[in-house]
Amino acid sequence: MLSKLSDPFKHDKIPIQPISPQSKRVKAKPKKFSAVIKRIWIYLSYSKVMLILVLLMVIISSAMALLGPFLVGMAIDKYLVSREEMFFLWLLAALGGIYIVHSLSLWLQNYWMIGVAQETVYTMRADLFEQIQKLPIPFFDKRQLGELMSRVTNDIENVSSTLNSSIIQIFSSVLTLAGTILVMLSLSPLLTLLTLLIVPLMFYGMKWITKRTSVLFKEQQRNLGELNGFIEETISGQKIVKTFSQEQKVIAEFIEKGERLKTSGFWAQTYSGFIPKLMNMLNNLSFAIIACVGGILALNGTVSIGMIVIFTEYSRQFTRPLNDLANQFNTLLSAIAGAERVFDIIDAEDELKQEKNKRRMEKVKGDVEFQNVSFSYKGYKNTLNQINLRALPGETVAFVGPTGAGKTTIINLLSRFYEVNEGAILIDGVIIADINKESLRAHMGFVLQDSFLFQGTVHENIRYGKLDATDEEVMDAAKHANAHSFIMKLPKQYDTELKYNGSGISQGQKQLLSIARAFLAQPSILILDEATSSIDTVTELKIQEALQQLMVGRTCFVIAHRLNTIQNADKIFVLHNGEIIEKGNHESLLKKKGFYYQLHGQKQLR
Amino acid sequence: MLKVLSFLKPYRLAAALALVLMLTELSVELLQPLLIGRIIDEGIMKNDFNVVLMWGGAMVGVSAIAFASGVLNSYYAAHVGQSLGFDIRKSLMTKIQSFSFGNFNRFPTSSLITRMTNDVTQVQNTIFMSLRIMLRAPLLVVGSLVMSFFVNWQLAIIFLAVVPILVVFLVYVMKKGGVLFKRVQEKLDHVNNVMQENLVGIRLIKAFNRRNHEVNRFSKVSGTLKDGTVKALRLMEVAMPVLLLVMNLCIMVILWFGRNQINLGEVQVGEVVAIINYATRMTTAFSMFSFIIMALSRARASSERIVEVLDASIDLTDQDQSFNNIHMEGEIEFNHVSFKYPDTEEYVLKDLHFTVQAGETVAVLGATGSGKSSLFQLIPRLYDAADGKVLIDHIDVKTLKMDWLRKNIGFAPQEAMLFSGSIKDNISWGKENAAMEDVIAAAKNAQIHETIMALPQQYETKLGQKGVNLSGGQKQRLSVARALIRKPKILLLDDSTSALDMNTEAKLLQALKTYTSTTMIITQKISTAKSADRILLLEDGLLIAEGTHEQLLFSSPLYREIAKSQLEAEVSHLAFQTK
Repeated sequence: MLSKLSDPFKHDKIPIQPISPQSKRVKAKPKKFSAVIKRIWIYLSYSKVMLILVLLMVIISSAMALLGPFLVGMAIDKYLVSREEMFFLWLLAALGGIYIVHSLSLWLQNYWMIGVAQETVYTMRADLFEQIQKLPIPFFDKRQLGELMSRVTNDIENVSSTLNSSIIQIFSSVLTLAGTILVMLSLSPLLTLLTLLIVPLMFYGMKWITKRTSVLFKEQQRNLGELNGFIEETISGQKIVKTFSQEQKVIAEFIEKGERLKTSGFWAQTYSGFIPKLMNMLNNLSFAIIACVGGILALNGTVSIGMIVIFTEYSRQFTRPLNDLANQFNTLLSAIAGAERVFDIIDAEDELKQEKNKRRMEKVKGDVEFQNVSFSYKGYKNTLNQINLRALPGETVAFVGPTGAGKTTIINLLSRFYEVNEGAILIDGVIIADINKESLRAHMGFVLQDSFLFQGTVHENIRYGKLDATDEEVMDAAKHANAHSFIMKLPKQYDTELKYNGSGISQGQKQLLSIARAFLAQPSILILDEATSSIDTVTELKIQEALQQLMVGRTCFVIAHRLNTIQNADKIFVLHNGEIIEKGNHESLLKKKGFYYQLHGQKQLR
Repeated sequence: MLKVLSFLKPYRLAAALALVLMLTELSVELLQPLLIGRIIDEGIMKNDFNVVLMWGGAMVGVSAIAFASGVLNSYYAAHVGQSLGFDIRKSLMTKIQSFSFGNFNRFPTSSLITRMTNDVTQVQNTIFMSLRIMLRAPLLVVGSLVMSFFVNWQLAIIFLAVVPILVVFLVYVMKKGGVLFKRVQEKLDHVNNVMQENLVGIRLIKAFNRRNHEVNRFSKVSGTLKDGTVKALRLMEVAMPVLLLVMNLCIMVILWFGRNQINLGEVQVGEVVAIINYATRMTTAFSMFSFIIMALSRARASSERIVEVLDASIDLTDQDQSFNNIHMEGEIEFNHVSFKYPDTEEYVLKDLHFTVQAGETVAVLGATGSGKSSLFQLIPRLYDAADGKVLIDHIDVKTLKMDWLRKNIGFAPQEAMLFSGSIKDNISWGKENAAMEDVIAAAKNAQIHETIMALPQQYETKLGQKGVNLSGGQKQRLSVARALIRKPKILLLDDSTSALDMNTEAKLLQALKTYTSTTMIITQKISTAKSADRILLLEDGLLIAEGTHEQLLFSSPLYREIAKSQLEAEVSHLAFQTK
């Protein structure tokens, strides 16, 4: 049992000074530190007027806090000790007034500050969200979803709770500090100097601690982010976890990540807990110094006893705001660690920044051309190699080939989810890299491989293709996509709420809804990436007719494994290992008896 | 709250020690004024330099003790707080892993994440704070109250009237605040939810240019979060000024009565001064309360949310006497099975009745939404049948141990979900301590080996969150490999070859024949179905036909229609004509 008492000292140590290559970064920290504070200040300064009001209230409440005891002292001296009769009630009335003003100013400063703080956090959140909307797709490939989530929630929450309390505290602490030093100086410069002796000690101690805590808090937030990512992944992959009966494994891995969070959290809290203790000790120390030195001086007669008493009192008043500041420092540190992670994302390269002055396309005819396009995902071999192709307005081009041949990549490049490495893609003779991304996509309609649906009604999900669509238009699109009949069977038809990512309806039904969504958009260029892969072939045939109508007058890019869905394409490109190895239409390709013929033949054989 | 506090039990010794250390620190602090008095009275007044030094030294020594106990307290408090947080998270995760899908429907993912991180952090920080400073305030209040009675009970009676009222007031604010903060956490869930959706669906949002739409949607939920937080915090901040005012008014009353009593000669001036002194001390202590009740109300709200998860009743559990067979043959029987999802009305499976022999391969065909995937989910008991029985080797799956049942099943779902980690990790995920040869063999059979070998780091290649760098078909094949590595008795492939080209798919199906598993394949393709021993045809949750390809061609009009839709020659002519 007693051995448990040594538990706190058994936590793994976390190296504070990372080994050589990273140590440069640690040195650069203070700069970043102040930069982060500056950034937060910029956010706060949006509500400058409010902040000034808050400051005013802090000044008033501090003054009232000093005035109250002063009047009480006067009351005791004059009316209790000397027993004067005059104006006692007046004094009480004044005291009452001061108390009311004090409470009122206190309430107002908090009331306003909460408004300012939450507004700030709200703006930060909004900025972060907007930034996420602007980040390019490759950014998301590199990061874990839950880890990103943690930045929007835990890190911002951290900033929020700090702003609520710290700013007022810091204001009033600085105010009291300045006031006290002034009064002390006017009383005795020598003793003031003695009191200030502890300041360098304090700074040294604080530096020692914060050097550790700033690293540790960051580490803690990072671990929290990782844990978040893990939770997110395992919960959304729960079906796999369950069917493979891997719960124990998941829990074990979770524990490992949790341990890491625990260790960093432990050290961060322990070290940050030192700050007020250090302050207390230094406070007591200065108490003792003043008492001793003052005592000696009093023996010489240079200083009066009353002065010593006053000074010991003041030295306490002097360290209390410092103590508060130090306490605030703690939360401030973790908030800054959080804010830094948030700013990391806000500062990440945003895909719309360079797009601002790019060309906007009013109308697109749909003439698409790939000129010697090559592309590879970071760190992989060439996914596409020297692709040349052209789709004239109104034409349907199809891509076939084994999985991993680069079919989806072609679409990723056309929509500028990724940028080409070499060569160029042109639409109506304009290089798409020179067209504003959003304006480019505005002319395209997509049915993507993963048919993602939002939480909300069926109706809302279809209307996503055209936000101002009427109810009739929505229903019409659903009918075209052959989704109407199954929607009518749902408990609340078009008003049925879909759960997260459409769980509750089948994969094929999800695809039908996303086709309806694309129908509604009525784009110049239509992109269908495995749009019907999970739909049964009978339904598919019916949609095919509708799709055929939709395709008229639009340039279409179609990817499909079921070859019958693309037989009527104007041009078919056969992709293999990132290269176009055959092209033509269905008949000409069959005649060629090449790869396409093989793909096709297999099917008929069985 | 109590349930969450019970997590403290293993650390009660450390927590107690932290409290003792805090008390030590507190009493040293109270000792300081006494020592100062000695220095003045015995040293300076009597011109005794040695006494000044002695008591001065004592002060330094005492403050060193305070410092030491403060530092130690920090260690213990952090240890208790963090360990508690870790334990709570651990039991949350363990509980969530035992959740059925019905449970998951009740708690959205984003809410579970908030509960496991944000809420636990809230509780953990509150515990840490209370072990360090929180108890100080109530102790100071009680101490001052007692002391003031020793000084002069007539004057002190006013405290007795005021303090209970204040305590009641504080409790009220805390309760109300708890409710408000719980709402805040719920709103935080909503914000996280929109965020999560956006991160998952970012491609679609970009494709449809819905940036502004999403930003508006986010501002709306984020705005209500802001309003909620402001409301809760503002309520909390009313407490402190009110406390201050009431205590200060007390001082006025004491002055008033004190003067009268002094005039009557019943009270000494010093006593009044002392009582006022205690009143100010209490005020200081009370001012800490506003901070404390804030922390407590938040912690209360958070712990309620934690307990909600911990107390959720699991509707799918092993029975007390579950069978744990040593060997599974793999015969699957559906005995008049009907099924509907929890909290819905419509039956998605109606009176299914069929048997799949051990080792047989059966294809399941049917229109979109006809219930194919739902049928699959009943076999590993992800859901329980509403009516009828699902039997494996003639035993009701409800009486089988879930762990054992699922370990014998290999499942490749429609949407290939991969985890972050290496390719090898993902394949061997289905089997602990799988040897590299097993991994490769499974990959080869799933027709993904060559693709993997072409990657820069082959089997060690890391996959992003959802294997983003792989194509849809590659992901599907990895997911099949993950199922195959277990050499399962029952293999369930839910349309997991949909994104594969004919050639690859044929090879994969061929490779499956080397496994002795009972295999069920959901498919849209007649060609795939033909390779199976038997075909089940579903329509609107009903089993409308079963048999071989030839039999069904003969007997089932729907099957004929499906087959016809896939006979490309006819279709292409038809399509050409319509265009």
